[in-house]
Amino acid sequence: MGREVSESCVDSLLTEMVSSYCDRFYANKPDLAARRIEAIGFQVGLQLSERYTMERPRFSDHLEAIKFICKDFWSELFKKQIDNLKTNHRGTFVLQDNRFRWLARMSIDPSPENGDLSQDNPLAENKAAQATSMHLYFPCGIIRGALSNLGIPCAVTADISNLPAYWGYGGGGLVVPWQRRKKKG
Amino acid sequence: MQFFGGSEISPSPPAPTASGNNAHMMYVFNRNGVCLLYREWNRPLHTLNAQQDHKLMFGLLFSLKSLTAKMDPTNAERGNLGVPQLPGQGCSFHSFRTNTYKLSFMESPSGIKIILVTHPRTGDLRESLKYIYNLYVDYVAKNPLYTPGTPIRCELFNTNLDQYVRSIA
Repeated sequence: MGREVSESCVDSLLTEMVSSYCDRFYANKPDLAARRIEAIGFQVGLQLSERYTMERPRFSDHLEAIKFICKDFWSELFKKQIDNLKTNHRGTFVLQDNRFRWLARMSIDPSPENGDLSQDNPLAENKAAQATSMHLYFPCGIIRGALSNLGIPCAVTADISNLPAYWGYGGGGLVVPWQRRKKKG
Repeated sequence: MQFFGGSEISPSPPAPTASGNNAHMMYVFNRNGVCLLYREWNRPLHTLNAQQDHKLMFGLLFSLKSLTAKMDPTNAERGNLGVPQLPGQGCSFHSFRTNTYKLSFMESPSGIKIILVTHPRTGDLRESLKYIYNLYVDYVAKNPLYTPGTPIRCELFNTNLDQYVRSIA
């Protein structure tokens, strides 16, 4: 895969896509906007999985396909692999990415009227969660599209367990512990 | 009465406290003069209220840039004042120093002005200001939740900025 594109371009495009669908096309209808964004992700996932499995043999079982998503697919998209994979052996998989690249630059308003920042503030966290969740529908769609192209129909949801309100100074990085649950359906 | 007698060197300012940063304060303005960010780490004296202070600072920089460009003895042609230029190109002042502080300035081609006020023995901060501009691009311009032209309220930017400014010698 010789051709590359600037990451800044992709980031800006994704930001603008979410903001267009949420604020202009389907203003006040977040469910519709979410569905449209997820559908776009689905198409993108279909095509990406075609590209990235071109030279591989077919996957022998579902676990192999999930491992492909965790390693090769994630590396192509996000330049790293999934940090943790769990399953209940009954069709649900949890993929955990501790530093999700597309959310790495998001941060919320630390204004003092939201209360003391050192404590957990449910109101501020709620607003931040709403804002970030809209940006997660596209990656969820990508995964759903990729898996369905590999023969695994499923539903994909995303969770953010800790918000990007992280006060660590080591390395200056952002940690967004994030889990994905996939159910076979 | 002696005006110029006595000690010729003014008393030097107090060394930066251990708890504070090496910098006193920082302003970020956009092209239209909106103050996007004002951070203060160590400023004992406040003479004006915030609005007047920002306007004064912006006006000062605007005038200084014009003045320094017009007084340039080496440039034969009349450059277009106000044309966006890369930092370092053309003729623009980058710092001034008094007995008690040094003010460093950088303007990006997009009109974002960064001003950092530090103690007077600070060296050349042009590279530091470029790094701060990179922080701005990464954590503010690329933040999906930020609207351009509004005051900056991004935790990540504030955190990384504080951490970096603390490390400037």
